[in-house]
Amino acid sequence: MLKLRLIPVLLLLLLTGCKSDERILEKLGMVQTASYDLLDNKRLKVTYCVPVTDPTSKVRRELMTTVSDSLKSARLQFSLQTDLKVVSGQVRETLYGTKLAKEGLGDYIDTLLRDPSIALGVRVTVVEGDAGDLLSKTFKSHNDTGRYITHLLDKESYGNSVPATTLYEFSRDFNDDGIDPVAPIVKDGGDKVVIEGVAMFQEDRYVMRIPAEDGIIFALFRDDLRQGEVAINLGDKDGRPVVIMLSSLLNKRKIKVHQLGDGRFKVDIFASLQGSVLEYTGEEKINESKARHELEQKISEYITAKADLMVEQMQEHNVDSLGIGTYVRNGLNYKEWTSLNWREVYPEIEVKCHTKVVIKDYGKYS
Amino acid sequence: MRSMAHNPLSLEHILEEFDQCADLNHRSYPEIETDIVYFSHLVDTASFIKEIQEPFSKIRLDEVDQLLLQSQFTPGSDPKQVVVGILAGNVAIFHRGTVCLLDVYGPEMRSVQQSETETIIAGPHDAFVESALTNISLIRGRLKSPHLKIRKYAVGEISKTAVYLLYIKDVANPKLVEDMGRRIQSIETDTLNDGGMLTQFIEDMPNSVFPQFLITERPDVVASKLAAGRIVAIVDNSPTAISAPAAFFEFFSSPDDYYQRWALGTALRLLRYMALLITITFTAMYVSVTTFHYEMIPEALLRTLAESRNRVPFPPVYEALLMEIMIELLREAGARLPTKIGQTIGIVGGIVIGQAAVQAGLTSNVLIIAVASSAIASFVIPSYMMSASIRLIRFGIIILTGVWGNMGLVMGIAVIVIHLSGLTSLGTSYVMPVAPMKSTDWKDVFIRAPFSMLRTRPKQVGTSNRIKQKNRK
Repeated sequence: MLKLRLIPVLLLLLLTGCKSDERILEKLGMVQTASYDLLDNKRLKVTYCVPVTDPTSKVRRELMTTVSDSLKSARLQFSLQTDLKVVSGQVRETLYGTKLAKEGLGDYIDTLLRDPSIALGVRVTVVEGDAGDLLSKTFKSHNDTGRYITHLLDKESYGNSVPATTLYEFSRDFNDDGIDPVAPIVKDGGDKVVIEGVAMFQEDRYVMRIPAEDGIIFALFRDDLRQGEVAINLGDKDGRPVVIMLSSLLNKRKIKVHQLGDGRFKVDIFASLQGSVLEYTGEEKINESKARHELEQKISEYITAKADLMVEQMQEHNVDSLGIGTYVRNGLNYKEWTSLNWREVYPEIEVKCHTKVVIKDYGKYS
Repeated sequence: MRSMAHNPLSLEHILEEFDQCADLNHRSYPEIETDIVYFSHLVDTASFIKEIQEPFSKIRLDEVDQLLLQSQFTPGSDPKQVVVGILAGNVAIFHRGTVCLLDVYGPEMRSVQQSETETIIAGPHDAFVESALTNISLIRGRLKSPHLKIRKYAVGEISKTAVYLLYIKDVANPKLVEDMGRRIQSIETDTLNDGGMLTQFIEDMPNSVFPQFLITERPDVVASKLAAGRIVAIVDNSPTAISAPAAFFEFFSSPDDYYQRWALGTALRLLRYMALLITITFTAMYVSVTTFHYEMIPEALLRTLAESRNRVPFPPVYEALLMEIMIELLREAGARLPTKIGQTIGIVGGIVIGQAAVQAGLTSNVLIIAVASSAIASFVIPSYMMSASIRLIRFGIIILTGVWGNMGLVMGIAVIVIHLSGLTSLGTSYVMPVAPMKSTDWKDVFIRAPFSMLRTRPKQVGTSNRIKQKNRK
């Protein structure tokens, strides 16, 4: 009986060997933001941003830069540069320079996914130009550029104006058939960081981008929404632009695929959105239902036109960021799908966007 | 051996028994050939004057025999009975070779006061005192039923402490009553000073850190426990009563729960379970997170936590143990010191621990928060015995987390749960409504349901009379 009781104790004692796994907080250099750039000689420039935890120190972050052949060998080189143990369990943001993004992110994403200490919620963001330079720069009112970018994207993605892509979403879209990943692009705007738009990838290669102001239109056709704002220019009146702004957007998206045979498809994308008018500079009385319906019509025409143009561009660059391919795939059996070369078919198919707009409210007192 | 001619009931013999007892009073009334022997500090002065002093100073010799025939005087038949009688506060009256005993017991006692350890806001404020009979009177005052039965036992070779066993006939399970009585009778000890001592003699597992009988100072709690079918033991000279069988979850309910509206009672009870979790895990979580699991720290807390740890020279587990021991020292000092000094110590200790230790770089201020909140949470648990046990367990868990991180924490909690499920109280499961699962009892364990729903007695007591409140028409 005594022996039986001793066994678990002995087993536990064996575990004390794991004491070497100790990671005592103040001895760690916790990488919070990492940036990766491709140099001309095909080597990798890696910059890590580690918060400085010494309260007496004036600097708030420690930047480490190295040139190496791979991500993990970069970490080994960083160990030589610092008195802290470099760990990646607190990474929140990874920034990729345009050059690297154009070359393809697949290998790097794979390395990050392979490390169990890196969470799937880590952000993937493309930087216009050199990511390392942006990260190294200190913006006046923000002492930690990495956190500044993370919070900026966090806030914007809440309103769906840009998709803030996580490692999970990127690798899911990358590995899935019939959809291509997207990521936000930021750039150095002098004394601030500016969101530039949405980067669209073909497989893992950054191919095209749409400007930030069209991000919400892209979002309307990419997914259902529960939050967002859109401002629409309805043309001029007496030399003054007529602008209507919809807020508290609710959007339902539907994709319908019609098979026309011989690998030809016709795709309809429906977005039906509801919103409240927060701003309207036009003449119409929107409390009259007739005028309101006309306005709804105008808005939907505007959005549809923009969306059609966007889809056209995407087909031109052969990126399927809306995930039309997954809907086509769902309508086919496995054999038909595998025999179909989606990359070849996609630019040729006919895609039509449809928008239905409902103005829910139009202000309290008007 | 004494000679047979020597009368064992004689005054000389009894006085010999009490040789060198300076507190024994011996008074003679030579005119009426009477002697009285008693302990003045055991008798009630008023009745002593009325029953003894006044009649004996006025009476004539030929009337004494007549007086002693009155019913309040018990004739003594053997010396042992007389000796025990004197010890129990009787006056022994020796008259011409006969002995009579008169019970005028009434020593000075603390009056009924507020409970110090189980204070509540609403509800009755009276608490038990050291006299068992006063305590029983407080209970009888609340349960005016002839079904409230009381058995008496004498425990202790020297002390002969009276232990009373209370139960309500037809409500308490007779098997448990017999078991409890048997356990009390089988105690072998010299002296029994308190109810807390009694529980350790009769508990199912004396080596466990968890109290297996509920100890309370409050007559209202005892009344409700009795009505629920539990058995109560009261030890003379102890202001506590012991209720059995007890369940782990009983220790987290306070009489306050029933005296306030049910929503409030429920919220407070849930708060106490939360306090249990906080007490066990907060400091341990700090240790495990700062030693092993830096990934778990939220971004907003990361810098604060790392900065506050930065100057500390020890690994987190030593830091945490140091602070926990400081808090326990402070608590123990506060409990032992007189109130006025205790306050001073509290302030000094608070400043020393809270401010100076951080400034000196001995601990991080996040740890201070963790230690303080887990200490405060431990005081939320109404039963002092239970909160002390849990505070003790906490140290084990802190050490476990220092060695194995979160895995140690999980192992520690698993060991506690396994141990609790193995415990019994008077042969019944200690974690009753949970294991074995009795979901009908949950409404008075994790929440405090409205009284209209609390119509049954707990299953744990094994009563045949489960319905305590019939549906109102």
